[in-house]
Amino acid sequence: MSAILSLDKISKHFGSVKALREVSFEVPEGSVFGILGPNGSGKTTLLGIVTDVLRASGGHFLWFGQKPSGDHRKQIGSLLETPNFYHYLSARRNLEITAVIKDKPKGDIDRVLKLLKLYERRDSKFQTYSLGMKQRLAIAGCLLGNPPVLVFDEPTNGLDPSGIAEIRELIIELSQQGKTIILASHLLAEVEKVCTHVAILQQGVLIRSGSVASALNQEEWLEVSATDLQALHSLLSRLDKVEKILPAGEFLRVFPKEGLTTVMLNRLCFENGIILSHLRLKKSSLETAFIELTKPGGN
Amino acid sequence: MRSEFFNTLKVEWLKVRNYRTFWILLVVTAACMPAFNYVIYDFTDNSLPKFNGQSILGNPFSFPAVWRTVPYNSGLLVFLPAILVITLFTNEFSFRTHRQNIIDGWSRSRFIHIKLLEVLALTIGVTILVALTCVCFGFLTKTLSVRPHWNDVRFIFYFFVELLNYLMIALLIALLVRRAGLSMGIFFLYMIIEQFVVVIGRNKYKKDWVDYLPEEVTDRLIPQPFGRQMMTSAQISLWENHVALYLSIGILYVLLYIFFIRWKFRKTDL
Repeated sequence: MSAILSLDKISKHFGSVKALREVSFEVPEGSVFGILGPNGSGKTTLLGIVTDVLRASGGHFLWFGQKPSGDHRKQIGSLLETPNFYHYLSARRNLEITAVIKDKPKGDIDRVLKLLKLYERRDSKFQTYSLGMKQRLAIAGCLLGNPPVLVFDEPTNGLDPSGIAEIRELIIELSQQGKTIILASHLLAEVEKVCTHVAILQQGVLIRSGSVASALNQEEWLEVSATDLQALHSLLSRLDKVEKILPAGEFLRVFPKEGLTTVMLNRLCFENGIILSHLRLKKSSLETAFIELTKPGGN
Repeated sequence: MRSEFFNTLKVEWLKVRNYRTFWILLVVTAACMPAFNYVIYDFTDNSLPKFNGQSILGNPFSFPAVWRTVPYNSGLLVFLPAILVITLFTNEFSFRTHRQNIIDGWSRSRFIHIKLLEVLALTIGVTILVALTCVCFGFLTKTLSVRPHWNDVRFIFYFFVELLNYLMIALLIALLVRRAGLSMGIFFLYMIIEQFVVVIGRNKYKKDWVDYLPEEVTDRLIPQPFGRQMMTSAQISLWENHVALYLSIGILYVLLYIFFIRWKFRKTDL
């Protein structure tokens, strides 16, 4: 996979504040790339630099393997921070301006308005829109002309739960169409559902990047239960392939060494006269892995 | 390149086509320039004492005097197109569309160049209006000499430089301040403060450098036209000797504003 976006030692200073410190990573083509980090970690600053609204203090970046230009940005649908439109114009008129700037056909405006469920309100002024509608209009603007790359900074801001689910489905659908999506968010549960790759920033420093599995190293365990929990604990603690056991209410969390599968564990218990009433393979959430990584000394 | 230019013009047209405030300000500007001149005309013609059946100020609205009278009067209303410039430019900052236009694919140069061109176009438009107002008043009043020559019409060009200078100052303030109300406040405050400095500096401290301050230098291109017959030939020749310098410095200021506005927008964070 070739890189759609390559960052090389990007730094940004705001006076004495170092917002980004030599951040380097690559966004592979066709990936859904999550840029994660707590508030103030530099996510939006980074996206501001690659969309040319902020000037980097150091380093450089490439779009499509080339020096960035306006023509590249026309091939990228970007939503940065807030929806930025002319308040006195209708949704359709605003998208007309976007279409002319991006050299995209005006005929595509109705399609994106319908896709984001704004068609009925297409002639209403932007200032009459709710926060969620404004956000959806900004996403509609990004999708004009069906660009191969999308950059979304907190795309679910202001949306209600059903709106969040719709945007998540849309991102998955766009990804299945082969688009590269760069997504900055602090909603880790949402990111977990859609991202294939992540970069994690903390106080302007890149602490991990790569595929979700490799970058986050999410922990796996087996959750088990039986009528006699004490007997089960005693049996499991004698097994070589068990790293540690942690009680968790009516369950035991069994952290296996390499090679212990659910089938093996079930058979072992059965052969030792214990019938498991519950057996499930579990993985730490992105949130847990993220908190582990970003806590002091975590990385 | 040509299509890029027309594409840029189209975007700017789409921004103002349905913007009521723009059209109101444009109509107010277009209506006030001739209307204000008519008020002055009416005052000089009917309200002042007459001598030998003629106003004591002569015939300031007849050819050829009208070529300096109308530009001078209109110069007092430069704040009207300046309000338009400030409103349009600060809108981009208020709505953060200056960022969005760049994010969507415009270069920073393209964005700022079209704004500079808009200021130029507005200056040309208002200058044409002032020239037409001159012609109308000239024909409406007792005409001494219909055929204009450079010595008369140059005041239209001086008005163009004066207005361009003021509008570039308005654009510069809007770029630095980014808020409509505050930008207008600073624009008016600067006009007042500079006039204050000029009057004090010239009358009390006899300093010549005040004549070359950013607004005063282009104001001096069109001297007060009323009662010109009362001016001594020494006073007239003093102005004639300096007008090329005023013009050069005025144009230099405009070029400096353009240079700084371009540099600032292209180099700083948006």
